[in-house]
Amino acid sequence: MALTLKEQLSSPGGILKFLVKYNTVFIFILLVIFSALISDVFFTSANITNLLKQVSGIGIISIGMLIVILTGGIDLSVGSLVALLAVTFAILVNLVVLPLAILLTIVIGFSLGSISGYLVAYQKMAPFVATLALMTIARGLGFIYSKGSPVTFKTAGGVFMSDFANNSTLGVPNIAIVFFLIVIAAMVMLRYNVFGRLIIAIGSNEEASRLSGIKVNKYKFLVYAISGALAATAAIIVASRTNLGSPNMGMSWELDAIAAVVIGGASLNGGRGTAINTLMGVLILGLISNILNLLNVPSYPQQVVKGAIIIFAVLLQRFESK
Amino acid sequence: MKNSENDYRLEMTGISKSFGVVSVLKDVNLKVKPGEIHALLGENGAGKSTLIKILSGVHHKDTGTVRLNGQEINPKNTHEGQVLGISVVYQELSLVNDLSVAENVYLHKLGASKFWMNWDKITRDAQELLDSLGFTIDASAKVRDLSIVQKQVVEIAKALSEDTKVLVLDEPTTVFDPTDTKKLFDNLFRLKEKGISIIYISHHLDEIIKIADSVTVLRDGVDTGSMPISETDTDGIIRLMIGRDLKDLFPARNVEIGTEPVFQVKNLTARDTIVHDVSFCVRPGEVLGIAGLGGSGRTETAKLIFGADKKKSGTLILDGKEIKTKSPVDAAAFQIGFVSEDRKEEGVFLPLSIRRNISVTSFKSISGKLGFINVENEYKKVLGLIEKLNIKTPSSEVNVKNLSGGNQQKVALAKWLSIDSKVIFIDEPTRGVDVGAKIEIYNLINEVAKKGVGVVVISSDMPEIMGISDRILVMHQGTIYGELQKDQFTEENILRYSIGKRLKQQTQTI
Repeated sequence: MALTLKEQLSSPGGILKFLVKYNTVFIFILLVIFSALISDVFFTSANITNLLKQVSGIGIISIGMLIVILTGGIDLSVGSLVALLAVTFAILVNLVVLPLAILLTIVIGFSLGSISGYLVAYQKMAPFVATLALMTIARGLGFIYSKGSPVTFKTAGGVFMSDFANNSTLGVPNIAIVFFLIVIAAMVMLRYNVFGRLIIAIGSNEEASRLSGIKVNKYKFLVYAISGALAATAAIIVASRTNLGSPNMGMSWELDAIAAVVIGGASLNGGRGTAINTLMGVLILGLISNILNLLNVPSYPQQVVKGAIIIFAVLLQRFESK
Repeated sequence: MKNSENDYRLEMTGISKSFGVVSVLKDVNLKVKPGEIHALLGENGAGKSTLIKILSGVHHKDTGTVRLNGQEINPKNTHEGQVLGISVVYQELSLVNDLSVAENVYLHKLGASKFWMNWDKITRDAQELLDSLGFTIDASAKVRDLSIVQKQVVEIAKALSEDTKVLVLDEPTTVFDPTDTKKLFDNLFRLKEKGISIIYISHHLDEIIKIADSVTVLRDGVDTGSMPISETDTDGIIRLMIGRDLKDLFPARNVEIGTEPVFQVKNLTARDTIVHDVSFCVRPGEVLGIAGLGGSGRTETAKLIFGADKKKSGTLILDGKEIKTKSPVDAAAFQIGFVSEDRKEEGVFLPLSIRRNISVTSFKSISGKLGFINVENEYKKVLGLIEKLNIKTPSSEVNVKNLSGGNQQKVALAKWLSIDSKVIFIDEPTRGVDVGAKIEIYNLINEVAKKGVGVVVISSDMPEIMGISDRILVMHQGTIYGELQKDQFTEENILRYSIGKRLKQQTQTI
């Protein structure tokens, strides 16, 4: 990254290009400054910690959403998967040792994502349709397995997870650290790994990818499976925060995740988008809710403001990239 | 200025245009008389399209004036351009597949009309217009069901449905066979008689010489000359286009051709296409041409070998060993390359950078364990290829969509040159590519062959296929009908085989 950064800044008009490329970062910074100016509670560590905790779950599934969107697909199932997998994790944590419970939950998440992946990659089903189906199936299964009510953690493993999820290391909430690590991993994979390069290639021109000898189906399958595994990770985190797994968790999170990816400047047609910008998208969305809460704006007007800011952010990107 | 009002239908003077820091047009003049066919020529990237887009209202000029019948015009968008009587048929088709032919022809009116349309009348009018062009197309058919040639005709009909004063045609004959081309030309002559000014863009210089009255040549955004066609010839035009003499379009080859075939195909038959019983071999260092009419199965044969289409039967032998290519993934693993004829849809990744385009096939050599890419190696490799192929770009990070056609084609080639291929199939290597880039691509093909690669070139361009091949196979109705050795290369021989006839003097059996 140092190399390309240096190149960008030293080329003619480089700084301007840099600003355009990372415009979401600057939207984010502007929002932070704005928030700090209008609320004196904003820059307290309690509030920042709270903000980071709130965005971590959606943040993790947003990264999964990003890699699916990069291939030109979409994954509507992630919100429901969070619910089903949170319930699954809560059941498992009461049954088996913690590491096994974590591992199994992630494996189940990967497998559920594989169903979408199989339908999209090998059965040529439209991503919207395949994941829409999985979305309702997962939500239904969540209610069936939990019998409609939250499953609480009862074991020492559950206590450990709940401690982990609610504490901080060096002032940063542990779950935010998990989220940031996933963002960094995604950044590295998308920039420096063949996997990332190929999914971007597939999203930008599937036929050309196929004729370049790329295993298009394999990669399309994998992105949904990974999205499922990331949904499992998010599920473990949100369940641990509240000490329970509920079938009502993750309600319409898939839409927030899509919003975050889009605010991050990714193209829904595939081929364009970065992890750092998706992180910014997640933070921007979180920041908007946070500041509106601090200003005591009731929740319904909040939704209106949020929608308006999404439109504004995306329009601003257009304007800047012209 | 007063006098010229009577002389010229269209006068574009001193046109300049920049996109950001890139200056595309510098002080360009284009003057067209009523009832004149005016050829606009230039290499890809010379600024022809930009000039046309300024005329039609897609782009806005930075400086200069445009006058139509002596009146200054400034179309803000294509609709205004159309209302003024400027119709453009672009190279890329812009039809709506799910609407009928008639609806497409009158699409611009649908938006501007009253609430109700008289569909019968529209269909009748469109049918009349199409019939008058001399092509048989059903105006009530869905555009989706038309052949590409018919679609092109619909585009032209659409341009004529207006009260057209200036008609611009951008490479209209690319998809036409000689009969269709002749029909188109007859139509152009008729329009010309009606006093319509036609601006004609083409890479086929022989076409230009045949039909144009005058010509304007652009090079690197500057007009290098305008003259009546009678005052120049092909060589003169080429000189204006590339700024130097074009002594040898096809570079001399002296390549050692191996004796043992590197790649053999035996009795290959497709499951879903007309390709059947195709057998041939390529030797290392050989450039094997495959000629034939459109639809004779040339592209399909290459796609079949490459695993993009399904096979029914047949054997492929690479380096003496039988191989199976069930998918392009297999073919690529066996070091077989394929450069598609459809550059934009199947060849390059338009929204990605040159670097990302070229690397896509060569990750094996630039990535280590776990698929992590050695970026330094990648840059070295990509920059090396950019230099070697003379891809004109300020950096490796420029998106391929911003390159000219010739440079895009070089990127498509670079993708396969960056790995060591044993056999490369190149389908229409220079379609839509200007003369200068053509020579570079031919040189490249020779260089690849020199390394001992078997190169199979599919081409509809007769001089090209005769100029670069060591041997030519001619396909007819899905199979190889004849083979021509270098001393038998003539357009007539290729054509005879293409239409399923034997050669005149000697009877050749394969």
